[in-house]
Amino acid sequence: MTHSLNEIEAQSRKAARGTGLSWGMAEEAAKATRWLESHQLPGVRLLAEVLTRNDGVAHADIAPQTLDAPWTARSGVLCPLASGAALNDCADRLATGHHIEMEDVTSPLLVVPFAAWAALHICSPVRVQWPDIRIETDGYRIWVNDPKAQVGLASKVALTCSRVSEMNQNASLPELRGRVCPTGWDILGTFAHRTYAPDTPESRRLGAGAGVSDND
Amino acid sequence: MKPRPEPSFTSSLRAPSQVMRLARLGSFHQCRLSFMRILTRRMAREAWSFTRPIFDIDAKGVGHAVYCAHTPDRTYSLVAFAHDLPAESRSDRVIAQAWDSTFALFDGVPTKEDIARLRTNVPLQEAGRVTETELSVSRANRSVRLWEHVIARLADGRQPDLHEILKVGYLMRTTAVYGSGKLGAADREAIAARPECSAPFQIEMLSVFLTRAYVRDLVQHMAKTRGGERAVPLAPEIARRMGIGNSTGLGMAPFLLNHPTLINNWIAARETAIARVRSVPLASADEVETFRDLLARTILSVDLWRSDHPIQIEKLTDLRVDLQRLSHHVEAADLNTEAPWNRLFMWAETELCLEAQECLASLMLEPYGDLVDSLADEMSDLNPAAFRIDGTMSVAQLREILHRNYGWAMDINWAERENCARAWYVSEEKLEPRLGERFDEPIADYEQPLAPGRDAAALNDALKSWHVDAPIAAFLLAHPEHRHSVRRAQIVDRAPYAEIRDNTISADLLPIDMLRCKLAFFGATQFDPRSDRWVRICLFGNAPYPENLQESNCDDWPYPVLGETLQ
Repeated sequence: MTHSLNEIEAQSRKAARGTGLSWGMAEEAAKATRWLESHQLPGVRLLAEVLTRNDGVAHADIAPQTLDAPWTARSGVLCPLASGAALNDCADRLATGHHIEMEDVTSPLLVVPFAAWAALHICSPVRVQWPDIRIETDGYRIWVNDPKAQVGLASKVALTCSRVSEMNQNASLPELRGRVCPTGWDILGTFAHRTYAPDTPESRRLGAGAGVSDND
Repeated sequence: MKPRPEPSFTSSLRAPSQVMRLARLGSFHQCRLSFMRILTRRMAREAWSFTRPIFDIDAKGVGHAVYCAHTPDRTYSLVAFAHDLPAESRSDRVIAQAWDSTFALFDGVPTKEDIARLRTNVPLQEAGRVTETELSVSRANRSVRLWEHVIARLADGRQPDLHEILKVGYLMRTTAVYGSGKLGAADREAIAARPECSAPFQIEMLSVFLTRAYVRDLVQHMAKTRGGERAVPLAPEIARRMGIGNSTGLGMAPFLLNHPTLINNWIAARETAIARVRSVPLASADEVETFRDLLARTILSVDLWRSDHPIQIEKLTDLRVDLQRLSHHVEAADLNTEAPWNRLFMWAETELCLEAQECLASLMLEPYGDLVDSLADEMSDLNPAAFRIDGTMSVAQLREILHRNYGWAMDINWAERENCARAWYVSEEKLEPRLGERFDEPIADYEQPLAPGRDAAALNDALKSWHVDAPIAAFLLAHPEHRHSVRRAQIVDRAPYAEIRDNTISADLLPIDMLRCKLAFFGATQFDPRSDRWVRICLFGNAPYPENLQESNCDDWPYPVLGETLQ
């Protein structure tokens, strides 16, 4: 079974919010998950891992402490979502040839969609690399140096993002469906459920505006 | 066509602070840029053909049918399942679990295997699952009263009573039409590049258009089954009066807030159209005649518009009075000299209620298809990267944007209970958006981000302690809770009609204003609020059926023809 990309984004947004991300962060986490799944990469599994690891953890503990290089977290481990969002916010630095370096970022593949949006903004492909892995994207297409490599690792790595002059010609295009990891999907569903308000007799009475007969 | 004279002045667009108020949005009327009319114009222009390869429905009204729309390039098929629904199971609420008919719009022509697969899923709606070959999923319930009346009359060889038809307006009403990837269907992105899908909601409108033909055929089939040789088909002029009803509740209201760029594009297209017509230097006799004819037909349409809701009753009373005043003014007014539509509109802005002003705005566009219709191509949201935040923007720049676009929100005291009395949330039981009382129910922790005014005011307060030259990227690192509002503010800076400039959580909020705005863009008429938070409407009422699209001017169908009504 495949999922539509809108379903993946909607489930991811609710799940991210359910673990305490701000609405704005949750929106971008969801779009990042959608982007990876459209490239048949394990966005849902990685998001489930990151949300589980950082469930309820304060943003200030896992986000870059400052925007001065290299980026580090107060807790010692950077969240790829908080780091990715900051990376995209600072995309113009890449345009001027600067590198953005992150120390000890977990699930680094989740940084790549943010780099992709940075690439769209600066109208130039960018490279995201960590030991043994090089990934290039122009925002739309993606190229991974070793297709057999475990790009979807959860452990922490040192990561660098920089502009490149040309996109590798073997880059692949996005698809229109996602084949999500069922376990990850269920975890997202559990987190998403936290965003639903438990019903009360009062809410049933007031909330939906019912009470008038539908039939005529 | 004769070239139009150059305008001697150019009307500017109405300001967002004027247009994006809930009371005005809640007074919008259908126009040439409504999505149903964009669809019917295209179907007629491109001479789409229609077939019904399958109609396999038994004497109890159970079975399935397939209706195909053939465009110049491809085919779309409505797969309809007819059910025998016990009366006690019939509910229009989104939470219902059974319906009189269920539908999927299939991309292409379905095989037997496709139909077998859909038969095990589509009747379940939310509890089922479809695939990327399905573009929408929907369901409909009968108007019990009218359904039985029409079948009984036709079975007996007589036509139904037109009074009864006009009182209800439809034989079936949809309770949801799901597109854009819902329940596993294809994402909009999969079809957005097709010309016939470039305007918003064209697939959903096509599904309803074909549903209307199915409903007519089904009622005739049931009458024939009951009456045998005595039964007659529906007279075409009566069938044409019947649209498809729709019940729309709170689920649709957050859409306007959750899609700011898209809403901007809808409003901007209509405002651009209005400004273009106001800039027309001289109206031709034909153009004036078209306007006068459609104004008279609008007055008739409003006379037929029924509602039991106190707010809408009052609005209808004012609208009827003001349309008569407009009619008298137009009879006497000089529409043959300089900038007639601009002068007329300026008169209306001081003399008429909001309902009548917006009705006039829509009407003025009618004679000017050549100026207006191409704007339909600009109503979609084609920039998926628009959500990116510009982190290099300075605190000073952002505050300037906030003051320009959210000044109204900064004037509200958000600590006052009546200004934040409500909260939008999603209920665990039904997974649907609801509007609750913040101080009476335990819902604040579950609040959805649907109060952009309050949140923009809070963002503005947080920015006050930051240096004016600081980049927003640094601010957001410390304040991720404002990320959503920063994004909206930057969108509104580029897309000025993106934001409703009113309090969406106040004690006196009327969610039906938000529903009305969206439904008017669909092309709905006869808005009938059933409470402050749900509304009944009619889709494709008076529209041509598939086989009539080529017969005459099919573009002005929302306006009933004079002299045909209630003879």
